[in-house]
Amino acid sequence: MSNDPIHQFHINPISPPIHLGAIDATFTNASLFMVAGVAVASGFMAWAMRSQALVPNRAQSVAEIGYSFIHGMVKDAAGEEGVKRFFPFVFTLFTFIFMANMLGMFPYWFAPTSQIIVTATMALMVFFTVLIIGIAKNGAKFLKLFVPSGVPIYILPFVVLIEIISFFSRPLSHAVRLWANVLAGHLVLKVFAGFVPMMAAAGGIVAIGSVLPLTMTVALYALEFLVAFLQAYVFALLTCIYLNDALHPGH
Amino acid sequence: MADRNPPEDRLDNLRDRVAKARGETSSTSQPPDSAASLAFRFGGEFGAAILVGALLGYGADFFIHTSPWGLVAGLVLGFAAGVVNIVRVASAYNKANPPDPNAPRIPDDDD
Repeated sequence: MSNDPIHQFHINPISPPIHLGAIDATFTNASLFMVAGVAVASGFMAWAMRSQALVPNRAQSVAEIGYSFIHGMVKDAAGEEGVKRFFPFVFTLFTFIFMANMLGMFPYWFAPTSQIIVTATMALMVFFTVLIIGIAKNGAKFLKLFVPSGVPIYILPFVVLIEIISFFSRPLSHAVRLWANVLAGHLVLKVFAGFVPMMAAAGGIVAIGSVLPLTMTVALYALEFLVAFLQAYVFALLTCIYLNDALHPGH
Repeated sequence: MADRNPPEDRLDNLRDRVAKARGETSSTSQPPDSAASLAFRFGGEFGAAILVGALLGYGADFFIHTSPWGLVAGLVLGFAAGVVNIVRVASAYNKANPPDPNAPRIPDDDD
């Protein structure tokens, strides 16, 4: 039971059942850690920026570096117009995913991004933003996204079909990448950590060998911290690239 | 004291001067993609396109009763879309990380 690597992903209700019409809105451990992620992120930002000093202290520096990091990323991928329209959206996505991943790194805590429904919701949010903003802003010109220029007319229908499939595959790969990375990372950590008490309990020479999976667990933990940041960054970067298509359709 | 700029202007200049001294044009620094995340990216892009292609084909079958030809066509088109996705990711990656021009040349079978 305690060695079951799947056990950490179980959703457990922590409030009495709440039903809003047909929607089951019971507060679960996943909801708790999502709320905690939002609270920590916005609480830190508000606390760090409370003095708004011209020469920042350490906390304010961290907040400002995070802000200008995402600002630069949006500017590089989507241009000045992208910053003007989408910066708050991308910054919110990044900090939320980053905080959710980081809170999930605490032992016995829960990583909401290990649930595909959470990542799929965010990916679909980006997808429909691209679709709605793209059509509202460009009208029929948005369809140029599916018709690459310079393609001979006799294979154009074929290419358009492929482009449409490619476009619709975006939210799927967008959601699965974050989810799979977090899920796989936590699984591997748990499996290696599970070897330690098993080998220690076996006694003799095997018990001494239990230091090997322990070393591996420590090393993987460091790697998971990198993954937690990198996947939040990659999710935000891809969001910028997709949003750029909404502003400037056509390759 | 009229010859002194207000402090805001001095700090604005500082950013430009530091960027110039470092020989940078843009202030952003991107972390390099790890090999594992790149592999995940390729796999995800490829698999997702096949899945979506198959689903669209299956949906066409369901509504216009052409089973199994929609699924077959969807799978083939999805495969093609997956390859297109991978080529896009790879060319974007190559553009962002150009090979080192000073790297030693390694002979291959074509030589």
